Amino acid sequence: MTTVRRWIPIAAALAALVAAPFVARAQSDSAAAKPEAPAPAAAAPAPSTSQTAAQPGTRDECMTCHLDQDSPEAIAYKHDIHRERGVTCADCHGGDPHSDDQDAAMNKAKGFIGVPKKQKIPLLCGSCHGAQESGFTSRYKLKNVLADYHGSAHERSLEANPNGAQCISCHGVHGIVSVTDPKSPVHPSRVVDTCAKCHGDARYMRDFNPSLPVDQKEKYLTSIHGQRHAKGDWKVATCVSCHSNHNVQQVKDPRSPVYPTQIPATCARCHANEKYMAGYDIPTTQYRDYKESVHGVALLKKSDLNAPACNSCHGNHGAAPPGVASVIAVCGQCHQSNEELYQKSPHQAVFAGKKLPGCVVCHSNHGVKPTSDAMVAFVKPSPCADCHRNDPSDKAAPAMLRIRGLLDSLTAGQKEAEAILERAENLGMDVSDAQYSLKDVNQARVKARVAIHSFEEKEFEEAARPGIVVAATAHAAGEEAIKEHRFRRQGLVVSTLIVTLAALLLWLKIRQIERRQRGEIV
Amino acid sequence: MNAFTLWEHRMEPAPKQGMSRRSFLDTLLGIGAVGWLGTVLYPVVEYLKTPALSEAEVTSVVAANIKNLKPNTGVVFKFGHDPAILILGSDGKLRAFSGVCTHLECTVQYRPDLQKIWCACHNGMYDLNGRNIAGPPPRPLVEYKVSQKGDDVIVSKV
Amino acid sequence: MPNVLQKAQEWIRERLNIDPVIEFASHKTVPAWKGSFWYYFGGVSLFFFIVQVATGILLLMYYQPGEKTAFESVRFIVTKVKFGWLVRSIHSWAANLFILSIFIHMFSVFFTKAFRRPRELTWYSGFILLALALGFGFSGYLLPWNTLAYFATKVGTTIVAVVPVIGGPIMQFLREGKDVTTATLTRFYGLHVAIFPAIFTAVLALHMLLIQTQGMHEPESWKTIPASQRKSMPFFPNFILRDVLLWLIVLNVLAILAVLFPWELGTKVDPFAPAPGGIKPEWYFLFMYQALKYFPAKMGPVDGEVVGIIFFGIAGLLWFLVPLWDAKTPQGARNRVINYVGIGVVIFMIVLTAVGVR
Repeated sequence: MTTVRRWIPIAAALAALVAAPFVARAQSDSAAAKPEAPAPAAAAPAPSTSQTAAQPGTRDECMTCHLDQDSPEAIAYKHDIHRERGVTCADCHGGDPHSDDQDAAMNKAKGFIGVPKKQKIPLLCGSCHGAQESGFTSRYKLKNVLADYHGSAHERSLEANPNGAQCISCHGVHGIVSVTDPKSPVHPSRVVDTCAKCHGDARYMRDFNPSLPVDQKEKYLTSIHGQRHAKGDWKVATCVSCHSNHNVQQVKDPRSPVYPTQIPATCARCHANEKYMAGYDIPTTQYRDYKESVHGVALLKKSDLNAPACNSCHGNHGAAPPGVASVIAVCGQCHQSNEELYQKSPHQAVFAGKKLPGCVVCHSNHGVKPTSDAMVAFVKPSPCADCHRNDPSDKAAPAMLRIRGLLDSLTAGQKEAEAILERAENLGMDVSDAQYSLKDVNQARVKARVAIHSFEEKEFEEAARPGIVVAATAHAAGEEAIKEHRFRRQGLVVSTLIVTLAALLLWLKIRQIERRQRGEIV
Repeated sequence: MNAFTLWEHRMEPAPKQGMSRRSFLDTLLGIGAVGWLGTVLYPVVEYLKTPALSEAEVTSVVAANIKNLKPNTGVVFKFGHDPAILILGSDGKLRAFSGVCTHLECTVQYRPDLQKIWCACHNGMYDLNGRNIAGPPPRPLVEYKVSQKGDDVIVSKV
Repeated sequence: MPNVLQKAQEWIRERLNIDPVIEFASHKTVPAWKGSFWYYFGGVSLFFFIVQVATGILLLMYYQPGEKTAFESVRFIVTKVKFGWLVRSIHSWAANLFILSIFIHMFSVFFTKAFRRPRELTWYSGFILLALALGFGFSGYLLPWNTLAYFATKVGTTIVAVVPVIGGPIMQFLREGKDVTTATLTRFYGLHVAIFPAIFTAVLALHMLLIQTQGMHEPESWKTIPASQRKSMPFFPNFILRDVLLWLIVLNVLAILAVLFPWELGTKVDPFAPAPGGIKPEWYFLFMYQALKYFPAKMGPVDGEVVGIIFFGIAGLLWFLVPLWDAKTPQGARNRVINYVGIGVVIFMIVLTAVGVR
């Protein structure tokens, strides 16, 4: 007993130390995996098939002694879901639970291990929550959580450092309850705090990932998710809803649900689910719109990681819709030149005055479509048509018409030049130089499409004009090539005629000479 | 053919009859010969005239004179059909890259204030190793080899 | 006009005695019979050679051999130099028609037995001219330094290497190294523009001197008919003018082909690129290339390809030496074997070329 007594405070301290920073993550299982029923389903905990497992009702001598001593572990374990299902102290700590003799019960020869090594804990829990199946695992429908944990970022942290995250870091120890129980550290109500115990502790995180921010919880509290969470809404997203639970991966890992190309689908698990979102007064069409948008196509179909996902505009931990005033800044993260021009444009003041959301007025938000020349027009679906009329009363109308004219000249000029150059090429003429110069038309078009955000005719024309000039030059080169081709054929006809004529005359001459030789003429 | 006429004249020094018809045919033949000569010589003479443009395709080019380059500046030059950019860094090192932005093929420029390569179209940014570090460019710029021969800075495709 | 010409003639005669030449030419005649048409192909071949020399000199004005310049300079000629496309196209077309014309000329000589005594030297020199023309074609093909030519040259020189003992060194010599490189390009360039033209001109001079001094070969059938039935025409001017007439027609054909079917430039050589499909030699090598494919991989202890090369070597040698093994019949006796061999060779070449093209 004396040895045990000496051990107890140390073990308790250790357990507390270990558990405290980690109590974070379990309930995510259900929350993340089933958005339609995000309230965490009861994970079925379970004791092992161990020989020493005490049948309920059998006396567990460990508890007898340790309760006598008011050991906090024993007291906590009284209501542990594992004890309720027949898991004894010895199932984790080894030894003989049937002996009331301390030396016999806590005999290393009988497998007593004292406090399990932290890096061994996943395997220890995994003896039931792992791949091995038994009557016990099937009775309580225990899932192979260990398999999920294998290869996770947390497992790597544990391998590198005993203080890394393992089972009890999140689920606690001795007083473990079902994840559906609000007392569980991984219940939706508590899981954010549980994660933040480590992820909000800069000193702690330094040992694992020094560059990782530790302000996720602070940001979360500012988000719509966080604000509702604070009001007791457990349906909203918590850490595990997006990051998953046992199988947490780093964001840069393509398997992670928060890897850029995965984010839209991850958010859509809740936000595209009409039933689930029923209580919230927001649409559920964002994902559908986004998938078809320029951004969605770039990210999801072309795997362009520079393309924005949901979080690029809404933020991730601090997710909230950008306010009307900040739309321009948000889009301007990437579309910087457009933003600069817009801020100087006459639209800026007008839109701001009417509390119109900048870029979104013309381009919409989630379903941003590729732009086209047709966007500048007085009829729907042109966004200009919402305010502008082709009417003398509209002072902007003449400039709009001229801008559209320049746009059309640029497009038509390029098309016509391409067509005539193709014709020349098909005729066998080399027009590669002119075809190359058409790249400059493309450049002018790109620049013009940016410049249009100045909503100033002069600025637009400066960008567009060089393209129109190059297109015209290329067109001329094409015409020249076709003319040259015609010239070659005409030249061929002329020279063939001359040579044929010369041949004919020569033939006449030969006939004449031969007739004279035969004496037919003198 | 004139040689043959000549030869006939030698053989028949004074033909009196049929002269006019023969001279007519001979004249026509002479014109034909001149015409034929023209169709051959015209292209040849045109061919030999120096063409307006000098040869274009290149794999290496004299991009600049080192004396005209100040540290922390860049010049865009024509490299074959494509623009390319030569940069003399503030560290005194010469670097050259393709001048075609990998985003939408605009021509990039050097920004001394940022010490970066910059594309004006969409504010794309490349560092001095050609890596795309900001804005929309999806790929780095292709780097070219730079060497010096006297004062000439020669850029060549690797 | 005649006065001017007469004066010129006098001026020349004062300085150079051309009377014997004119005298000779004025008595020279050409047999006029149903086979006379074939006589003109020698002249047509000569015309193509002149065209090749003229256009070749023009191309030399802009062509630059070398890794970085060969292809580019040809493209420059074709796209930037005025009428450069025409000059290059004519050079390419005339090269092919040149060889075609030589083949026709050769077979007409063969079937009319014009190689018989005393014209053996003419035959030998003509055969050498054919070999040189093929060399012109092979070396010139590489000069634009495009992909197709590069790989065709690679294959062509590899076949040379198959020849036992001397094949390897010959390939090394041709390629100027182990592989086809720019060194090969400069070597082929030298052969094409200097060495071959020099030898060709010398052999051609001999060839023509022999023809002029010996006169046209009279048809074999003349030996059995009385002299009164043998018709002939004066070489000068009748035959020569007909020659010139044909040249004019050929020139027209050449111009039409060159303008309407300009020779393609292809893509620049990339030695590291995989060989494109359908690599074929020029059509005049095709029958040999195709025939080599039909030799089995192994024939007894030796490679089938080696046997094939030796077969063509011996066949070529026998063809070259035809005046020797035709020696039994110089006195006018018929030798049908010659005809059968000739027809066999023509059919062999036509069929295999057709198969190869397809």
